[in-house]
Amino acid sequence: MGFKIVPRYGKSLKDKLYLPALFGGMKTTMSHFLKNLSDTSNIKTECYPEMQPTDITSRYRGVHRLTHRDDDSVRCVACFMCATACPAECIFIEATQREDNVDEKMPKKFSIDLLECVFCGGCVEACPCDAIRMDTGIFTFVAQKREDFVLNKEQLLANKEGN
Amino acid sequence: MAIITVDGREINVKDDALLIDELLANDVSVPHFCYHPALGKDGNCRMCMVEIEGQKRPQIACDTPVKDGMIIRTQSENIARVKRQMLELELVNHPIDCPICDQAGECSLQNFYMEAGLYDSRVDIAKNKKQKHVDLGANVILDQERCVLCTRCVRFTSNITKTHELGVVVRNDHSFISTFPGIKLSNPYAMNVIDLCPVGALTSKDFRFTQRVWFLKPQEAICDGCSRGCSLLVDHNREKYKDDLIYRYRPKHNDAVNGYFICDYGRLNYKKENDNRLKFAYIRGMESEFEYATLKLERLLKRYNSKALLLISPTLSLEEIYRLKKLSQKLDLDINSFDENFDESFGDDMLRQNDKTPNRRAIELQGIESSKEDLQKKLKDKDFVLLINRADVDMIKDLGYDGSIGVLSSSDFLHKDKLDIIIPVASHTQRDGTFINCDDFIQYSKCQIKRDIESIKILDLVEGILNDGVSTCEAVWDSGLKEENFLKDINFNDVRFNSIKIELK
Ligand code: SF4
Ligand code: SF4
Ligand code: SF4
Ligand code: SF4
Ligand code: FES
Repeated sequence: MGFKIVPRYGKSLKDKLYLPALFGGMKTTMSHFLKNLSDTSNIKTECYPEMQPTDITSRYRGVHRLTHRDDDSVRCVACFMCATACPAECIFIEATQREDNVDEKMPKKFSIDLLECVFCGGCVEACPCDAIRMDTGIFTFVAQKREDFVLNKEQLLANKEGN
Repeated sequence: MAIITVDGREINVKDDALLIDELLANDVSVPHFCYHPALGKDGNCRMCMVEIEGQKRPQIACDTPVKDGMIIRTQSENIARVKRQMLELELVNHPIDCPICDQAGECSLQNFYMEAGLYDSRVDIAKNKKQKHVDLGANVILDQERCVLCTRCVRFTSNITKTHELGVVVRNDHSFISTFPGIKLSNPYAMNVIDLCPVGALTSKDFRFTQRVWFLKPQEAICDGCSRGCSLLVDHNREKYKDDLIYRYRPKHNDAVNGYFICDYGRLNYKKENDNRLKFAYIRGMESEFEYATLKLERLLKRYNSKALLLISPTLSLEEIYRLKKLSQKLDLDINSFDENFDESFGDDMLRQNDKTPNRRAIELQGIESSKEDLQKKLKDKDFVLLINRADVDMIKDLGYDGSIGVLSSSDFLHKDKLDIIIPVASHTQRDGTFINCDDFIQYSKCQIKRDIESIKILDLVEGILNDGVSTCEAVWDSGLKEENFLKDINFNDVRFNSIKIELK
């Protein structure tokens, strides 16, 4: 393997004095500060959470949801494709026999640990049944305890398609 | 010896062997459904086509004996087209419900499609509907739509078990597999059809939907269900935040002992490894710290000496038996292995044996007394009996013994509060060891699964007392086991990989 020699900077007297660079930085900060102060309507940052973002695209990956069939039952067949694809291993499924003749297999338990999830969307890509999506538009979630960040099957089924 | 050329490569083959056997043995991929080495050829699936120079049309490899100088092509344009067409025909009515099919991941149809298919479906008419969930009995579930009608299952029940429960009914693309009217699949080997079935048509009711097969990690072991000692694959998996559990046993091909099959009893015997396990050490009925209990046991044995008896079980490995014998000599303890685990109705002329323990032969060969009379005699002057890998406390009480009792066991049992000391030990699949089967084959069970529940290996326990640094199987062999008369010409490293017949001089 080869290696690359990186030149070292900062040997001149001006660099060593340090203060010129400090004032240079302050100049940039102050110019933005004064510009924003004179025209508050054009500030780029938003006062979240009072202001909510309006420019989230429909492809944005938010909290997951489990989709429904036409008869409103769960679409997932517990094939574990999502759990297999998941790099964070945060999808927990327990499969069971489905007794209503719609299909043979379904999840008895299905939960996603949002604290472990890296929101890669791998699960959505992997699902052969379009049973899991990340289109709820929920991009922020709050809870009191760690356990509350683990969404169970009922919660995932209750999540609706966002805008 | 004959020499044939396969795709430009010369290979040496046995005269008159079946072409498919030789190709598979030399890692040439030949898609096939109906052929199985244990069931022989049937020639119905036509998937195993190869081109043979000098023959006008492609031939099936499963019904072609090799001839010296044969030139075979398995990869040509023409043969690829033929295989693709056979597969397409096979899949015309296939439901392709891989997401809900337990076979997915180990399915021949999936593999062959990826290898020889890869076409886009041209079928735009509705597929034939058949029954998708037929309970055939004996824990076998049939999905008639997934069946490729290779008849392996039918031939297993007619040629191997000779119980004739299965048959093909109705003609052409409406045919399906069924049991004969009024009967169910019921023979002690029935679940082997699940492994034989190349697709997900026959799946196990016991394993159904518990795991996807690609999560499972197979380890090799020897079955401890009876003295045949069949070779097993132990499929286990540790789910995130959970304990490592075994989900199924499968037969491992071993021509010396069990061929391609195991019995259903052995196959389902994995449950005892998961369930009803002894979880804590107890001293006089009180849960105790593990370390404390092991030290206490050491003190007890050293205190009682010749007033103590080790009652060992034929489920112990050869190494464990050897070390326990050594322990008894060093501490001047008595030893016996009386055990009545026989079932006269269990044995048959296929694999099952009446002796339902895996290693009685090893006890015999190491000259340890196992008669009831001897046990009765020895119990007379004893104050402490240690049951090892067994918990049949009632048996020794029935023999009139009423002194202190200790138990080393992997499974839980009743009335623990009456006993002096109880320590959980590693179960069969948690420790390695060798076993000598009913035909004097010595075999190594390699599987060592790490569970969360606390337990100690008997080899470690004995090492803790003898303090001589001998705690692995290999070390036990080196420490003197290999000098035993019946192991003179046998090397532990060979036993590791093969079943070896011991020669008695
Ligand atoms: S988004 Fe990625 S990390 Fe999150 S559950 Fe899906 S696959 Fe796993
Ligand atoms: S969500 Fe989709 S990929 Fe995941 S188990 Fe259900 S059907 Fe399979
Ligand atoms: S038998 Fe094979 S191809 Fe058919 S559904 Fe099952 S896994 Fe898929
Ligand atoms: S059920 Fe399986 S083994 Fe039996 S004929 Fe069908 S595919 Fe072959
Ligand atoms: S394997 Fe040769 S025809 Fe089926």
